[in-house]
Amino acid sequence: MSGDPLLEVEGLVVRYGAVPAVRNLSFAVGEGEIVGLIGPNGAGKTTTLLAIMGGLPVASGDLRLAGKSIRGRAPEEIARQGVALVPEGRRIYGDLTVEENLRLGLAARPGRSGAADDLEAVVELFPIVGEFRRRHAGALSGGQQQQLAIARGLAARPRLLLLDEPSLGLAPKIVDVVFDALAEIRRRGVTVLLVEQRAQRTIEFADRTYLMANGELRLVLDPDDAGDTDRLVAAYLS
Amino acid sequence: MTTVVASFVRDVVDPQVQIDAIGLGAVYALMAVGIGLVFGVLRLVNFAYGQLIMAGAFALALASEWDWPVWAGIVLCFAVVLALSVALEWLVFRPLRLQSPAVMLVATFAVAFLLQSIALLWFGPLGKPAASLVTLNRPVTIGSLDVRKVTIVAIVVAAICLVALVLLLERTSIGLHMRAASMDFTTARLLGVRANRVIASAVLISGVLAAIVAVMLTIQFPLVTPGFALQDTIIVLAGVVVGGMNRLFSATLGGFAIGYVSGLLGGALPTDQSQYLPSLLFGLVILVLLVRPAGVFARGGGPVERV
Amino acid sequence: MNALRAWPQLAAPTVLIVAAGLLGSLTDRASQIYFISALVSVAFVVALYVFVGNSGVVSFGHISFVAVGAWAAGVLSVPAEEKPATMPNLAGFLRDTTVGNVPSLAIAAAVGGVFALVAGLALMRLSGLAAGIATFAVLEITNNVLRYTDKLGPGLNVFSSVPETTGLLQATVGAVLVVTAAFVYQRSRFGRQLRAARDDPAAARAVGISVYRQRLVAFAISGVLAGFGGGLYVHLLPTGADSLYLDLTFITLAMLVIGGMTSLWGAVVGALAVSGLDSLLAEAENGLDLAGRTIDLPAGTRIVVVGFLMGLVLVVRPSGLTGGREFSFGRLRPQRPAVVQEESS
Repeated sequence: MSGDPLLEVEGLVVRYGAVPAVRNLSFAVGEGEIVGLIGPNGAGKTTTLLAIMGGLPVASGDLRLAGKSIRGRAPEEIARQGVALVPEGRRIYGDLTVEENLRLGLAARPGRSGAADDLEAVVELFPIVGEFRRRHAGALSGGQQQQLAIARGLAARPRLLLLDEPSLGLAPKIVDVVFDALAEIRRRGVTVLLVEQRAQRTIEFADRTYLMANGELRLVLDPDDAGDTDRLVAAYLS
Repeated sequence: MTTVVASFVRDVVDPQVQIDAIGLGAVYALMAVGIGLVFGVLRLVNFAYGQLIMAGAFALALASEWDWPVWAGIVLCFAVVLALSVALEWLVFRPLRLQSPAVMLVATFAVAFLLQSIALLWFGPLGKPAASLVTLNRPVTIGSLDVRKVTIVAIVVAAICLVALVLLLERTSIGLHMRAASMDFTTARLLGVRANRVIASAVLISGVLAAIVAVMLTIQFPLVTPGFALQDTIIVLAGVVVGGMNRLFSATLGGFAIGYVSGLLGGALPTDQSQYLPSLLFGLVILVLLVRPAGVFARGGGPVERV
Repeated sequence: MNALRAWPQLAAPTVLIVAAGLLGSLTDRASQIYFISALVSVAFVVALYVFVGNSGVVSFGHISFVAVGAWAAGVLSVPAEEKPATMPNLAGFLRDTTVGNVPSLAIAAAVGGVFALVAGLALMRLSGLAAGIATFAVLEITNNVLRYTDKLGPGLNVFSSVPETTGLLQATVGAVLVVTAAFVYQRSRFGRQLRAARDDPAAARAVGISVYRQRLVAFAISGVLAGFGGGLYVHLLPTGADSLYLDLTFITLAMLVIGGMTSLWGAVVGALAVSGLDSLLAEAENGLDLAGRTIDLPAGTRIVVVGFLMGLVLVVRPSGLTGGREFSFGRLRPQRPAVVQEESS
């Protein structure tokens, strides 16, 4: 891990009613890193991201952004602190235009100036978004909507980008586009926490990957571990 | 039989009736926006919206009684309505936000009743006159028509408000945030949209519209009673549901339509038929709720709002 | 909890009701009216509870069942020679038939039930907001029709010459009957299934419960009870379309909310408590001597106070005075208080 941790998750416990979805989870993401979070369905990955974003109440534990606790803050506050979430299923506003969806992403920007430039930078990263600016977002294909969702998340120039299963339901070619974009995003200095179903790809791609199952952290994996399928399967099924 | 129909048709196409119906539709459209805006952002059907209008009307009546100049009365009206809107939001709607929509429905009903009863206690059942604005109720002759000034004012004011609202919603960021919040509040917050600001804006705009409607209705009906605007609110609610509660556009169109139709039927139907007008309207409401729960003007494939 | 151990749930409300009746019999004639109308309110509120409490769906239309019940019982029990006085244009069958007290109550219940069944066939697919608005529409339509159709009843007039048979005894027995019916229903398979659907619609559907059918059953039963209540009411006071409309809807809802929407105990407690308060305030509006001081409240204070209480309860303790729980002796495990919930369709 290089540099100070940008995000620290410490002893996180999140419950749905009486059922714990995340139990005593602890990990950290350093500035400029791409960290992966994989695991079977129901492992608590989405719950973790939502908790970080303030979308779910935290039962116990702490969440820190650049050393400052963000536990219990409202989602819009955390967004303004420089965290952006690209939610599972994209959650694009189909009835709004692509341009309007992007402008919504600007809601988290602290300053007014330079908005146009930031939008241009994002469009540069995802040209397809620029092409369809005036179209209703609902008319876009799944892959295009995913790109729009990521673009929207980036519009506010976040320090930390949280992605929840961006490759879900996408064709392989589009998945490549997404991962290439992630690489470029990292190059621009954004820290990324990537939740994914595609275990292999994520382990190869990320600096470090955490494997969750049943609400707990099971393994920490390096890109070298990508070939170790036995270990992976065992952890998934445990 | 044919003479009845002929006389009905003749009454309906009479420009006098048309203008009055459009005027009523304009007022109802503004009320529909006030109700629809709060519903979209807060998912709250404000049964008490009519009471906001009533409060504004009573403010005008009091100002008239205290011999205030007209403009001061209008300012008081706005102040009272906005203060009451904010108070309701803080004291009642905010604490209830976590409850089910069913509980919120009962709550706004209770608030509506409570406010009406307070007015009854304070002003008595006979109400108060608000005479100072009556000059606008005088007719002006245009061609062969006697059009009341207030009808023209109502149509113009409504048109201006609607245009201003469209500009606000489509061109400004707060407008964009409000639209997004009414489609999917949770995601909007995750993107950084400030919930408090959006809600406050909706409540304020809705309050401003209520005040405007209060002024316009008081001009037409200078006697303000505790039941002021109650029947209108119920009809506008019906119109909003029939038009389509989910989207502001269809809600407004529904409000206008029901106002227009009510005006036409009120002007053209013989009196003994028009008694059953509420039954017709509410029968229509039930029918629409069953067949097209999203509303008559709503866009087809959208998510069905059964809640 | 098996049926035997649940007997306190019926016994407690019944004891309360009978106590109210007995207490009323000890007061002077003038004050008895308060006790009688409190007991009739129990019928209204319990009828509303049977549907709202068990299904979690709000209905603003129940007073329309009260109204048709009152209309049926009233029109049919006015002596034939008196009918033309207030109801000159009655339809043939209604004009020519006159029934006694108990038959009129039975007919009121039946009419209420049938009306609720027909309305429910259409409306029970709706939930939440849509149901609220649709049931409100039913209330409006019923009031509009009853008000202007003088073939069915007194129309704009108030009922008169209806035999005043609802005294303390009839009211008490009536209330006990209604509470017993509500208890039997909620312990039955139907009641349990509906509550299961209320608490977890998806799970209920998964085990084959038809939410629509269960709601319809509850709606119809509550219509029967409400109609019966209307019959009791028309035999108590001269009543008309105005008093069976928004005011009564509001106060019935207030009683249920304040008592606790999700339990029979809550319904009965709410009805009696609010009636008690309302009566006290009514006396104060007429000038009340309390410990040597005279309290004289302006007319209309009652509704303001009740409305304020209702708002307060909703904000501070939405589950009501009883917490939405049935009566228990504490040794028995209390039922989980279920919050009136929204169905997501």
